[in-house]
Amino acid sequence: MKYIPTIGIECHVQLCTKTKLFSEVDNDARGKEPNSCVSPVDYALPGMLPRLNGEAIRLAILAGRAMNCEINTWSRFDRKHYFYPDSPKGYQITQFYEPIIGAGYVELPSGTKIRIEHAHLEGDAGKLTHFNSYSLVDLNRVDTPLIEIVSMPDIHSASDAHDYAKELWRLMCFAGVTYGDLYNGNMRFDVNISLAPEGAEKLGTRAEVKNLNSFRSVERAVEYEIKRQSKILDAGQKVVQETRGWNDAKGETTGQRSKEEAKDYRYMPEPDLPPINLSAEFIENESAKLPLMPSDYREIFNGIIKSDILEVLLDYPKLMEKLRELGKVPGRERSRPLGQASLSPVNLPSSQIATISNLFTSVLLAEEKSAEYLNDLPSTADLAELAEMNEKKELSSTATKEVFLKLFDPQMKNHGAKQIAKELGLIQENDLGALEKIVDVVLSKPETQKAQEDFRAGSEKVLGFLVGQVMKESRGKANPGAVQEILRKKLQ
Amino acid sequence: MDIKREDILHLANLSEFTLSDAETDSLGKDLQDIIKYISQLDELDTSTVEPTYQVFEMENVWRDDVILEQDATREELLALTKNEIDNQIKVPKVL
Repeated sequence: MKYIPTIGIECHVQLCTKTKLFSEVDNDARGKEPNSCVSPVDYALPGMLPRLNGEAIRLAILAGRAMNCEINTWSRFDRKHYFYPDSPKGYQITQFYEPIIGAGYVELPSGTKIRIEHAHLEGDAGKLTHFNSYSLVDLNRVDTPLIEIVSMPDIHSASDAHDYAKELWRLMCFAGVTYGDLYNGNMRFDVNISLAPEGAEKLGTRAEVKNLNSFRSVERAVEYEIKRQSKILDAGQKVVQETRGWNDAKGETTGQRSKEEAKDYRYMPEPDLPPINLSAEFIENESAKLPLMPSDYREIFNGIIKSDILEVLLDYPKLMEKLRELGKVPGRERSRPLGQASLSPVNLPSSQIATISNLFTSVLLAEEKSAEYLNDLPSTADLAELAEMNEKKELSSTATKEVFLKLFDPQMKNHGAKQIAKELGLIQENDLGALEKIVDVVLSKPETQKAQEDFRAGSEKVLGFLVGQVMKESRGKANPGAVQEILRKKLQ
Repeated sequence: MDIKREDILHLANLSEFTLSDAETDSLGKDLQDIIKYISQLDELDTSTVEPTYQVFEMENVWRDDVILEQDATREELLALTKNEIDNQIKVPKVL
């Protein structure tokens, strides 16, 4: 039978605040010793009070606006109780009843809209490492600020699940609310999947696959679950509602402990944290700090950068910002209403923007050190100068690539694009008078006489040989296009 | 509300407690009494009263995002645990 999958995704995003959500301790534990980023609050020692980090509220507003969400003026925290060694408090502080981020939507590159049910602030849990007879607890991650983003069940294919996860990642990175390092668990996805026969009104029983940390694993887990559940339904059996884990190496999901029901968490208001009551003005001021989003860039560069190249570049917020500067596009107007972007067109010639964006995709991203390079991009002036030299044919395409890479070289980059091109002797000779002299020298050489005769006799292919000779004579600086023209004229 | 034996066992399970039969019975009776006592509050009509989430009537109590020196060191905090290995807290195996 044919089944329609219905998929909802919950995504945890670690916020890049300096301190934790409820204590003044370093929130960036990357490369630090276990239990070195902890305070008595994280340890949940008796009498310790959580102290809310204002920056987490600001970042939550940005994250919400990045997903076109309403920001709720009133929100508050609850305790979600569970007993596990990753939580010394015995509960997680979260926003169960009144979250800070309300309904919105994420638009996929394909144009499909996935609605957001809500998103809320909460603290992360500690990290457990399991051994044969015991487990070890590291509390560095306790109460790292998270926002949990809950989508509506609007996703109906594995590829849309992948695209949604990826677009969320981009939105959060562009909004600057997370480091977005998936390998280190900065974003984790829980995927709910159910199948129902085509045309059925009721949704099927769902399984939840927890803790996926890549777009690809989201896609593969959905593919696997669609197959697994189809088989069960085809056999006339029932899907069990349960939590499943993902084994990336085996490419399959397996059943885990039965999930505690919501009532088992015994939610209660968090008495230690006064509620959040935001003024419309505060929300507006913070929202106005939202940088340009992927959808804005798609609008700006529509018709200028090919969409397949643009979608590659859109993985790199800093790079997009650079391209926008290059086009001298003014920033988003402050405090404009959502969804009414007023973006001026690009000023730098489109062809030059295209040249630079092609260099980024074809040259930079192919480099081994590209991640390092991306952190220290060349100046807008240098890139514009390079694009102009290329446009004026002062640099061949090969030479353009060479100078482009030197713009990332710590030894060279200060020299500037033009100077680097000169130092490397890459500037093409476009001066027709000078070129003609070189051509004359070559044509007077005995070894070119035969080729000249052959060309006059109608052999086109010897032209390449003659151009090559001129290039050699000019030590590579001649513009081959111009040389060819001069040769044709002289050999008529 | 009637507290059944399986309710007590369910709560014990959520809290990772192991209870003897006698403890299960006596806890069940205690809990039943407590709920009965608290249930007197149900007699009040609170339909027009806003829920109370906290008693201090404060809101928007935030701090700046600045790292501060902590009063307790890692060593002092780890010293509070029963067992540690390599600066991590050792606990019985959990899944």
